[in-house]
Amino acid sequence: MTQAVDLAAAASSTDPKVGLRAVLALRRLLESLETVQVDNARAQGWSWQDIAAALEVSRQAVHKKHAGRPVVRPSQEA
Amino acid sequence: MFERFTDRARSVVKGAVAESRALHHDKVGTEHLLLAMLDDERESGGGVAGRVLRGAGVTADDIRARIESHVGQGPRALGTADAEALRQIGIDLEAVRRKVEEAFGEGALSRPPARPHSRGLFGFRRRRYYTGGPFSPRAKKVLELSLREAIRLKHKHIGTEHVLLGLLREGEGLGVMVLTESGVEVEDLRRKVIEELRATA
Repeated sequence: MTQAVDLAAAASSTDPKVGLRAVLALRRLLESLETVQVDNARAQGWSWQDIAAALEVSRQAVHKKHAGRPVVRPSQEA
Repeated sequence: MFERFTDRARSVVKGAVAESRALHHDKVGTEHLLLAMLDDERESGGGVAGRVLRGAGVTADDIRARIESHVGQGPRALGTADAEALRQIGIDLEAVRRKVEEAFGEGALSRPPARPHSRGLFGFRRRRYYTGGPFSPRAKKVLELSLREAIRLKHKHIGTEHVLLGLLREGEGLGVMVLTESGVEVEDLRRKVIEELRATA
């Protein structure tokens, strides 16, 4: 109970240090998730155009950011 | 210059590369050199440097924890500070990680992040201009200074102790920062290295 109260207090913290750190962490999480999902889409044969449309960004933007990374094929044993 | 390095000192350099990789860091810095000198499992930890550091109460675990608290696991990787920050806005990073790994395999969320590569004219892959391997400018400086420390002490070889002296001389890297944080005095440590050399000479 007290833990939940603590959490609620932290979530609504007006200390910029706390709030901005959460934004940074969220951006890192976003970048990691994007990497995973774009790799997966490429491995499943999606075009850069398809991926760009899904992410609502330009094809050039998604290509510039993600092309050149080796495509991770789904592992054989899975 | 490297031909003068002892096997242990070479092991420090190699160990530093391995430490950097294990932490998913981009570059090999002074902090990784320090970790390698403390590594009991590798040859690199068995030198004079390792002995003096341990004698001063420095441990690899403590140093590693301090490094991680400064840089996290990689510049854009998700570390414990991120998990904490996300928890504060109601996101359970471990739960997210579990879900992603269920679908995409272990470590899926810690893959190297997207890194834009530059293309030259007509889309040809632009040549990469290597700036000298994976070592940070400071780490390179430390290795240079280790040679100078050896010369200054009139030693013909460069051992782990000279690398440590180089690290202390350079003085501004993360390696020295975490050492200082752990309560070690740089000048004091330098003196201990010299004393140890006198004792074993």
